[in-house]
Amino acid sequence: MTKTVDLPQGTLEMLILKAVSLGPLHGYGILLRIQQISGERLEILQGSFYTAIYRLERQGWIEGEWGESDNNRRARFYSLTAAGKRHLKAETAKWADMAAVVAGILNARADEI
Amino acid sequence: MSVLGGMRKRLRSWMPRAAADVDEEFRSTLEAYAQDLMGRGMPAEEARRKARIDLGRPDAQHERYRDALGLRLFDELSGDFRYGVRAIRRNPGFAAVAVVSLALGIGATTAMFSLIYAVLLHPFPYAGADRIMNPVIVNEQHPDQPQWFPLTEAQFQVMRQAGPINSLLGFNNSHMEMTGSGLPEAVFGVYLTENAGSFFGVRPLLGRNLEPSDGENGGHAVVVLNYRFWQRRFSGDPQVVGQTLELDHAAYTVIGVMPRSFAFNNTTGVGDVYLPSSRMRAVARVPYMAYIPWIKLKRDVTLAQADAALEPLVRQFAKEHPERYPDHWHLALQPLVVPYEQQTGKALMLLLAGVVLLLIIGCVNCSVLLLARGSTRQQELAVRLAIGASRWRIVRQLLVESVVISCAGALVGVGASHWLAKVPLLLSPDSFPPESEIRVNAPMLVFSVALAIACGVVSGLAPALRLAWRGSEGALSPRRAGVTAWHSTRRWSVLIAAQVALTLVLMGTAGTAIRSFLQLTREPLGYDPEDVMSLGIMLHVHDPGEWGRRIQLHDVRAAYIEKIRASIASVPGVTEAAVSTDATPPYAGAASTFELDGEPAREQPQARVLLTGPQYFAALRIPLIEGRMWSADENARGDFVAVVNRAFAARYLAQGSTLGRRVRVPGLTTQNRFASASAQSAGWRTILGVVGDARNDGLDRPAVPALYVPYTALMQPYEQFLVRTQGDPRTYLHSIRAAIASVAADQEVSRGAAPLREDIERDAQYSRQRLFSILFGAYSAMALGLALVGIFSVVAYSVAQRTVEFGLRMALGAPRRHVLWIAGRIALASAVAGIALGLGCDGFLGAVLAHWMQNAFAADTLLAAAGLLAICALTACLLPARHAIAVQPAEALRNE
Repeated sequence: MTKTVDLPQGTLEMLILKAVSLGPLHGYGILLRIQQISGERLEILQGSFYTAIYRLERQGWIEGEWGESDNNRRARFYSLTAAGKRHLKAETAKWADMAAVVAGILNARADEI
Repeated sequence: MSVLGGMRKRLRSWMPRAAADVDEEFRSTLEAYAQDLMGRGMPAEEARRKARIDLGRPDAQHERYRDALGLRLFDELSGDFRYGVRAIRRNPGFAAVAVVSLALGIGATTAMFSLIYAVLLHPFPYAGADRIMNPVIVNEQHPDQPQWFPLTEAQFQVMRQAGPINSLLGFNNSHMEMTGSGLPEAVFGVYLTENAGSFFGVRPLLGRNLEPSDGENGGHAVVVLNYRFWQRRFSGDPQVVGQTLELDHAAYTVIGVMPRSFAFNNTTGVGDVYLPSSRMRAVARVPYMAYIPWIKLKRDVTLAQADAALEPLVRQFAKEHPERYPDHWHLALQPLVVPYEQQTGKALMLLLAGVVLLLIIGCVNCSVLLLARGSTRQQELAVRLAIGASRWRIVRQLLVESVVISCAGALVGVGASHWLAKVPLLLSPDSFPPESEIRVNAPMLVFSVALAIACGVVSGLAPALRLAWRGSEGALSPRRAGVTAWHSTRRWSVLIAAQVALTLVLMGTAGTAIRSFLQLTREPLGYDPEDVMSLGIMLHVHDPGEWGRRIQLHDVRAAYIEKIRASIASVPGVTEAAVSTDATPPYAGAASTFELDGEPAREQPQARVLLTGPQYFAALRIPLIEGRMWSADENARGDFVAVVNRAFAARYLAQGSTLGRRVRVPGLTTQNRFASASAQSAGWRTILGVVGDARNDGLDRPAVPALYVPYTALMQPYEQFLVRTQGDPRTYLHSIRAAIASVAADQEVSRGAAPLREDIERDAQYSRQRLFSILFGAYSAMALGLALVGIFSVVAYSVAQRTVEFGLRMALGAPRRHVLWIAGRIALASAVAGIALGLGCDGFLGAVLAHWMQNAFAADTLLAAAGLLAICALTACLLPARHAIAVQPAEALRNE
C-alpha cells in the first residue's frame, strides 16, 4: 500500500458527490469507490463519512432510495440530484482554480519573479 | 411526476428520517463491511467485531444522524422539556401555585394587549383606516372642543378634487320615521355619498353596499341596513335583501346588510339605515345640502402636507358661510382614532401599567417558589455536576423548567384573557369604539407566546444561576445541608421585599380609585335622579297627510305636546311629568351666547340654554330659590320669560337685582323647516326666578351658568319627557305608552327610554371611575394573594429545611416564642422593608395618579393599605412558622 493522505476540511463531501455522480451507490459502496479510485491512498474515518452523507442528503444534493444490493440485501442507494450536480460542478471548478493558484505559487522559482 | 408526488418528495426531504430507517441503513452497511472483511479472509466472528469497532454502536447511529443535521440542541431541549413536565407532575402543589402566579399576570396582560389592540391599534373595519381623516375646525378660543363642519354640494365637489385626497365621503344624519307595519318607529338614518362602498371597503354581510349607480336619476330608493337594526327589526332574516322598508312615508328597497363590525359612525350617531345622499337632495327637506366630510388621503401624503393643502380651501368656504365658523380657527385633520385616544388612551395605559405590575409580581413570586423548591433539589443538581454536566447545561435545564411552568401559565391565562378583555367593555361600554371587536388574532398569540417565554426566563434566571453555582456547594453531604441555614436567604428576601412593595403600590392605586368613585357617587348632584325616567317621541312631521301640515303650526304643536304631557302625568303612580328638550342632566342644554340688558356687548357671555316645561324643576326636585316659575299660559306662548340657575345669578347678575333683569339669546331660532320656533324666541326675556344648581356639565364638574326657557320657544321634530314615578319607573312604561296612545293612537315612544340613574351609570366619568375601582381592586387582591403565597412558602420551606435545628433549639429549652421569631423573622423583615419601600413611593404614585387617573391621591389611603398588607404578611409568616414549634425534638434528632 502506498502512503495515505489526510483530506482538507470539506473535500470529503466533494469526493462523495463525485463518487455518486458516476452511478447510484449505497453508503459502503461510496466509501469503497473513493478508496478504489484513489488507489487506496485515502484512509477515510467511517464516523465522519456517515455524518457527511447525512448532511449531503439533508442539503438535497444527494437522495437516498431503498433497493437491492449485489448480494441481494436491502440497501439504501444514493444518487446525485440536479442541485447536487450543479454544486459538484461549481465545487470542482473552485477546487481546480485553487489548486492551480496554490501549485503556481509553490512551483515558483526565484528567476520567474 | 404528479403534483402530490412532488409535494410528498419535498416534504420527505424536509422531514428528518425516522430512527428505524437510519438504523436499517446502518445495519446493512455494517453487514456489507463485515462481508467485505470476510471476503479478504477474516473469520466471520472477528469481521463482525471489527466492523462494530470501526463503525460504532448501532443504537447511537440515530443520534449521530440528528447531530449531523444540527438537531441536537433541539433534542436536548425537548429532553429538558419532558424532564420539566415530569418535575411539575411530581410536585403538583408547587406547580399549581407557580402556574397560577404566572397565569394571572400573563392572562391579564394579554387581555389588556388585545383590548388596546382592538381599541387603539386596530379599531376600525374600514380599508386603509389609518388614512381616513376627520377634518375638524379648531376654535382657537376653545381648542379642546374641535367641531365638525358641513360642506355644501358645490364645496364638496371642489374639495373632492383637492390634491392630497384619495377619496372623499360625505354624510348627513337624519331622524326618520319608519311606517308601514304596526306603530311608526323612530329610525336613525345616515345619508352617504354613493362612493361609500369603495370608500369603506367593508364587505357587506348580505347583498351589496351603496354604489355610484345608486345616485342616478335623483337617487334610487335603496337602503343598506346596520347589523343591529337588522337583528332588531328583521330578527336577522337572511332573506331581507329585496324587501321593502317604508321610511318617511316612501318605499325603499333593502339592498344589503353590513357586518356587525360596521357601525358608522360613533361620533355623530350610529345609523340604523344607510341611504344614498342623492335621495336626500331629491327629498329636499333641508334648505341646503350639507355634507359632513371624511377624507381618505392618498398613500404618500403626510398629515402636515394635507393640512397645508386643504386649509386655503376651507378658508374660502368660511368666506362663503362665515356664520358657520368661529372667529379664529384653523383646520386640523384628525385620524379617526384620535377621539378614542383622548377618551380612553390614558385609562388603558394606566390599566396596562397595573397588569404589568401584576405580571412582575407573578414573576417574582414564581422566582421565590423556584428558589425555595431548588433548595430541596441541591442534591440532585450536585450529582449531575459531579458526573460531568456543565453549569451552563444545568442553567439551561432549570430555565426550560421555568419556561414550561410559564407556558402552562400562559395557556391558562390566554384561555381566560379572551373573556377578561371584555370586562372593561362591559363595565364602560360608551368609552370604547362600538366597532372594535376583541378577538383571538395572530398579534395577540405572538404577544402571549413571547410573554410566556420572557416570563419563564425572567422568573427562572435568578434561581437557575443561584442553584447552578452556589446552591450545590457541599450538597453532596446531606448531613451538613440539613443544619446549615438556607443559602439563598439574601436573594429571596430581596424578592419578597420587591413583591410586597409592588403590591402596596397596586393597593394604593386601588384605594385611590375606589375612594374617588365613592366620592363621585356621594356628591350631591343638585337634582334627584332616582325614580325618574326620560322618554322621547317623534312628532310625525313627515306625514304626507293633513297632520304633517298642521303639526308645523306652533300652537298645534305646543298643544299636542302639552296634551301628551298631561296624559302621562295622569297615569296613576306618576307623580310628575315634564317636557325637556335635550335638558337631561348631567349634560344638559346647548352652550349659547346671550345678551344682558343694560350691559354693553363685552366679550360674549356664554350659558347653557335649556328648553323645558315649568314642571321640570319639580320632576327633578331642583329647588326654586327666588322669584317664581313661569305659568302655563306663559309656557304656551314661549316668549318673554326665563329662569336662571344660581351659578348664572352669581356670575352675571351679581350687581343689582336679579329678578326682572332681561336677557336675550340671539341663537334661539331655527332654519330647519321641521322645527317650530315661537314668534319672538330670540327676543328679550324677563328673568322670573332663580333655581338651584343642578349638574349640567358632567357628573364631576360643578354646574355652569344656565338659562331655562319655555320649551315652546323652539320645538324640534322630537320631544323628550322626564317622568317621576313611585318606585321603579320602568314598570310604568306600559301604562305611559297607553296614556300617549290615548292622545294619538299612532304616536310611538322612541327607543332608549331609560331611568336617569342608568344615564349616570353610562356616563364616561362614572363608568371610568367604576372601571378603575373594580379592575384595580381585582389586581390588588390578586397581587396581595401572590405576595402572601410568596411569604408563606418561603417560611414554610425554610421551616421544613431547618427541622433539625428547631428540634435542637426546642430540646435545649428555647422558648416557643423565640423559635417562632427565628422561623419568621427574615420573611417578616423583608415584608416590612417592602412596605417601607412602597410607602416611600407615595410622592411618585401621587403624581402618576393625578396625571393618569385625574384623581386626587390621599396618602392615608396608602397608609391604610400598608396596614392591611402588614397584618396579612404577619399572618402568612406565622401560619407556617407554627410548624417550627410543633417539631418534636426527639423525632427531629432521630431523622438526623
